[in-house]
Amino acid sequence: MILSHDVWTWIGALLSLAIFSFLYKDNPFYKTAEHIFVGITNGYAVTFYWHNILVPVLFNPLFRGRLILIIPLIIGALYFTRFIPKVSWMVRIPIGITIGYYTGVSIPANIEANIVKQVQGTILSPANFRAWHAGSWGILWSVLLFIGVLCVVSYFYFSREHKGLLKLTSRIGIVFIMIGFGAAFGYTVMGRISLLIGRLNFLFGNWLGIIK
Amino acid sequence: MTFIERLTAIDRRIIYLIIALVTLLPMLFPIAQKVRVMSPVDKCFNAVDTIHADKALIIDFDYTPQDMPELEPMAFAMLRHTFTRRIKILVLCLYVQPLGLAQSALDQISAEFNARAQSNADSIIYGRDYVFLGWQPPPLVPIIGMGESIIRVYPRDYYGNQTDTLPLMKRIKNYGNVELLVSLSSSSIPGSWLQYAQNRFGLKVSAGVTSVSAGDFYPFLQSGQFSGLVVGMKGAAEYEELLTRKLNFHTRRKAGESLSSITFAHLAIILFIIIGNIGFFMKRRKK
Repeated sequence: MILSHDVWTWIGALLSLAIFSFLYKDNPFYKTAEHIFVGITNGYAVTFYWHNILVPVLFNPLFRGRLILIIPLIIGALYFTRFIPKVSWMVRIPIGITIGYYTGVSIPANIEANIVKQVQGTILSPANFRAWHAGSWGILWSVLLFIGVLCVVSYFYFSREHKGLLKLTSRIGIVFIMIGFGAAFGYTVMGRISLLIGRLNFLFGNWLGIIK
Repeated sequence: MTFIERLTAIDRRIIYLIIALVTLLPMLFPIAQKVRVMSPVDKCFNAVDTIHADKALIIDFDYTPQDMPELEPMAFAMLRHTFTRRIKILVLCLYVQPLGLAQSALDQISAEFNARAQSNADSIIYGRDYVFLGWQPPPLVPIIGMGESIIRVYPRDYYGNQTDTLPLMKRIKNYGNVELLVSLSSSSIPGSWLQYAQNRFGLKVSAGVTSVSAGDFYPFLQSGQFSGLVVGMKGAAEYEELLTRKLNFHTRRKAGESLSSITFAHLAIILFIIIGNIGFFMKRRKK
């Protein structure tokens, strides 16, 4: 066991233990660590944006004579009108521009990547059978996927009462949804355990020197 | 209180303690575990491995400190792969927090290769073998802009050098000179690469993601939109295994070493779920 001589490792280890102490119950050590984390994250982001975006991209060129940059400066500054009740309506201008831009850019891209390509991937075609890399089993997986998609979509069809065929397909849809939730839960557990492994590696490796 | 009632009323702190112990013990007393490589990781490895000499790979580092245990081993394995195969890489971040992590990974892995290098040709040299472009917000700007010109989006690299003076950037102009992009991310960013870079410019995209977000990305693998997918620590261990198996590259396998901890922790959780359910049904039957 070789204890770390690095002061930052000690700070990291003590803060990690303070955060873990919440598992026993809420306490002042946890609260302190939580506040330090939030403060540092925000402080880091603000200073980084100031030094890497606002100064080099906006203020420096503006003061060197690129007066066109006054327009984005004013539009950006309108966000602060939210704090002045009389003119707070002006905050809608930058919000409107931002939403308009992102909506315009993302709608065609979303339709192409998330709907058109996904529907193509569901069609029972030889190319999709081969995509599974499972030999003749690829046909079975593709058919299963096809049935799953139709049944799950039918579960979310609420314009008609779920009776007869619709009842059957929506029931099958629920089974597929539950399998999806189960897989998501399993992956979540794996992710959380991985994070615990990372912290334990740090505490017992970098800090205490027990794990080589 | 009956035995069953006791089982369903175990203090959560005892469960935390047991999970901590079953995770820690395999780390203190390692048990070698065989790594089975699955098709999504194999596809990703092959996509990187078959990049042509005149093309480059872009690696998008978009993981934050809390995702390091899952995504850092992936990043290390991928950098070792590209440096071994002499694939030219451009590294970038779409958010602020990953910058330091990307720099540290590049420094560490390039130093590892340079320590073994016998000549200039063997060495991994900044500007010739890789370029760290840094960060340019908002994410849509570099994703779309690099399709036209990388230098215009990143006039300076992370270290403040003019990008047009770097030897590698003289031949990597836009996505036309890039064969593959790998997004190592804990957010929805791999999807944005598909939506904007792949749809518009036909860029091939692979992803390395956290386990939590795996379910969101698997449909894009099956549809052929992703050229490969590496998921969580298990995926990173598979990539490390491929490095050893296919390239005979031997080094410490951080993700591979943690697999037994994951296995035992999962077994413990499965056991708790079974016990909890037995207790629940027994109690219900009593009522």
